[in-house]
Amino acid sequence: MPILDVGYRTWEGRRTPAFARWFVVAGTGISLVWRGTWLRRLLIFICLPSLVALAAVAIFEQSISDPSMRPMASGFFMSPNARITAARAGVDISNVLQNPEEMRHFAWSYILLALFRYPQAIGMILVIGLVSPRLISYDLRSRGYLLYLSRPLTASEYVLGKACVLFFLLALVTTIPALIVYVTGLLFSPNPWAIAETWDLPIRILSATVVLVIPTSAVALAFSSLTQESRYAGFAWFAFWVVGAVTYQALWLADRDGPWDEVSIEPSRWLLFSPYETLGHLQQEVFGLVGPDYQRISPWVACVVVSILGYGVAYWRVSRMLKA
Amino acid sequence: MNSIIELAHVSKRYGTRAALHDVELNIPPGITGLLGPNGSGKSTLIKAILGLVKIDSGTGRVLDFKWPEQTRALRDKIGYLPEDDCYIQGLQGIESIQMMARLSGLPKLEALRRSHEVADFCDIGQERYRNVETYSTGMRQKLKFAQALVHDPPLVILDEPTTGLDPAQRDEFLDRIAVLAMEKGKHVILSTHILHDVRRICDHIIILAEGRVCVSDSLANLQRPIEAGIQVGVISDAERFAVGLTERGIRAEVTSAQYVKISGLDGQPLDPLWKASVELGVVIQRIDEARNSLEQTFLDAVRAS
Repeated sequence: MPILDVGYRTWEGRRTPAFARWFVVAGTGISLVWRGTWLRRLLIFICLPSLVALAAVAIFEQSISDPSMRPMASGFFMSPNARITAARAGVDISNVLQNPEEMRHFAWSYILLALFRYPQAIGMILVIGLVSPRLISYDLRSRGYLLYLSRPLTASEYVLGKACVLFFLLALVTTIPALIVYVTGLLFSPNPWAIAETWDLPIRILSATVVLVIPTSAVALAFSSLTQESRYAGFAWFAFWVVGAVTYQALWLADRDGPWDEVSIEPSRWLLFSPYETLGHLQQEVFGLVGPDYQRISPWVACVVVSILGYGVAYWRVSRMLKA
Repeated sequence: MNSIIELAHVSKRYGTRAALHDVELNIPPGITGLLGPNGSGKSTLIKAILGLVKIDSGTGRVLDFKWPEQTRALRDKIGYLPEDDCYIQGLQGIESIQMMARLSGLPKLEALRRSHEVADFCDIGQERYRNVETYSTGMRQKLKFAQALVHDPPLVILDEPTTGLDPAQRDEFLDRIAVLAMEKGKHVILSTHILHDVRRICDHIIILAEGRVCVSDSLANLQRPIEAGIQVGVISDAERFAVGLTERGIRAEVTSAQYVKISGLDGQPLDPLWKASVELGVVIQRIDEARNSLEQTFLDAVRAS
C-alpha cells in the first residue's frame, strides 16, 4: 500500500498532437527489443565486419600518399567480386591501384556496397529474424492491439510504429556503420577535398538503406501479422531468404553455359527468384556501380510490389482482428 | 448536457448477420448498465462508439463529438476497459499504464507520475513492477482499469470489468466506479452479465438483444413494481410461508428460494405477517419494499425480442 494515497485526481495538461502518437508504438517496441541481451550481442557482432570496411577505406586513402600501402589494398580490390563490380560499372579495376586518387569514388562505393551486400545484409536477415516475428504476432495473441487502437491511433499508424522498430535496428546494422566508414575515409584522406568527390555517398547510403529496409520490413511485418505463433513467422522469414537463394542458385547453375572459371557480368535473368540477389542488384544501382546496359526496371517493380503487399497484409490483418 | 451519447439508426452487419439493427440510443450522464445475452451486440456497440468497427449506417453524438466522423479525437476522451484479456507482452505493469497515457498524449514524465497515481487508486501495489504476463486475472482487470483511467477521460466504458475478481475485490472495484461517477463526475458505461453489479451502482439500464435496444430506462423505474408491496426474506421454506399466508387471505407469491412478495399490505400494520410467521414456524429475516426483479426484467426483454 502507498504511504500516501491521494486518491483519484483529475488531470488537465497539454497533450501531444494525435498524429505523433505512433512514435509511442515505435518507442515501446524499441525499448522492448532492446532488453534482449542476445540481440545486443548480435548487433555488436554484426557491426564487427564494418571494421574491415573501415580499415579498407583508411588503407586505400593512405595508399594515395604512400604507394607502399598499395599491396595491402590490392587484396581488397583484386577479388573476383571487385572485378565483376568494376566490369559492370565500366571501370578498369587495375586503375584503382594505379591511380587511386582518380578512382576514389568507385573504391569507396565498392567498399560500401560490399559492406551492405554481404556482412550487413546477412546481419540484417538475422536481426530481423530475431525481432520481427514477435512484433505483431505477440499483440495478436495477447490482443494488445486493442490497447493501442482504443487510443487515437489508426491501424496504419500502428503498423508504421512497428515498422519503425525494424527501421531503427536496420539503421544500427547498416546505415550507421556505413556512415562511420564514410567519415573514416574522409578523416584518413590526404586530400581534404575528397568530400567534394564523394559528397553523394551519404545520400547513396541512405538510399541503399531505404531500398533494404522498406521491402524487408514489409515482408517481416506481413509474416508476423499472419500468425499468432511467432515461431511460424520466424520460420517463414528464414525460409523466404533460404528458399529464394537456393532456387536462384539452382536456376543460375542450370542456365550457365560458359566455362566454370568464367563469371558472367550480366545479371542473371533468374534474379527475381532471390530476394537477396534482387536487393543486392538494387543496391548496386543505388551506389552507381552498374553501367546503363545493366539497369533493369523489374527489380524495382518487384521491390515496390513486395513492399505494398507486405504492408497491405499487415494492415489488413490488424484491421480485421478488430472485427473478431 | 441531457445525454452523453445520442445514436440514431445505427446498423452494423457482419456478413449476413446483423450485429446492430437500427439502434436508437440515448445514454444519460451517470453510470449506465449495458446488458444483453451473448451475441446481443454489446461489444459491437462499444467498439462502434470507439470507432474500432466501421458501422454500415447511423449518426449521432458522443460527448461533444460528432459520431462517427470524429471517433479518432473522441478516443482521447474515452477510457476503455476491453472484455478481452489484453496486454503488451514484456512490459511491466507501470510501463504498460504509462504507455497508454502516452498514447493518449500525456508527456513522458507526466505519464509516469500519473500512472503511479492511478495504480495506487486501482490498488496495484508493488505488482506494478512485475511483467504483465505474470499477472493473475484479477490483477489484469485492475491493470486494464488503470489504463482506462490514466488519461482522465470524462467517459469510461467498462466491458465486463469484474470478471475474475473475488467478492472482496469486486466490491472494491464497484466502489471505485461509484467514486468516479459521484465524486469526479465521470460518466460510466458498464457492460456486464452480473446483474448484482448493475443493481449496486447503475443509474440507468440499457438491454440489448438481437442487435436491438429492448429496454432503456432508469434502474429506479425498472425496479418499481406495478403494484406496491413488500418483499419478505425468510430463513427457510418460502413456499410453505407463501401458502400459509394465502390461506390467511394475504396475497403472497414466492419470488425466489428465500423471498416471498406480499401485495395489499401497504400502510397496514404487519401483525398478520408476524402472527403467520409464529404459527407456521418460519423465521422472517428481513422485510424490504417490493421491487421488480432485474433478472425478470432482463429475461422478459430478451424473450420478447
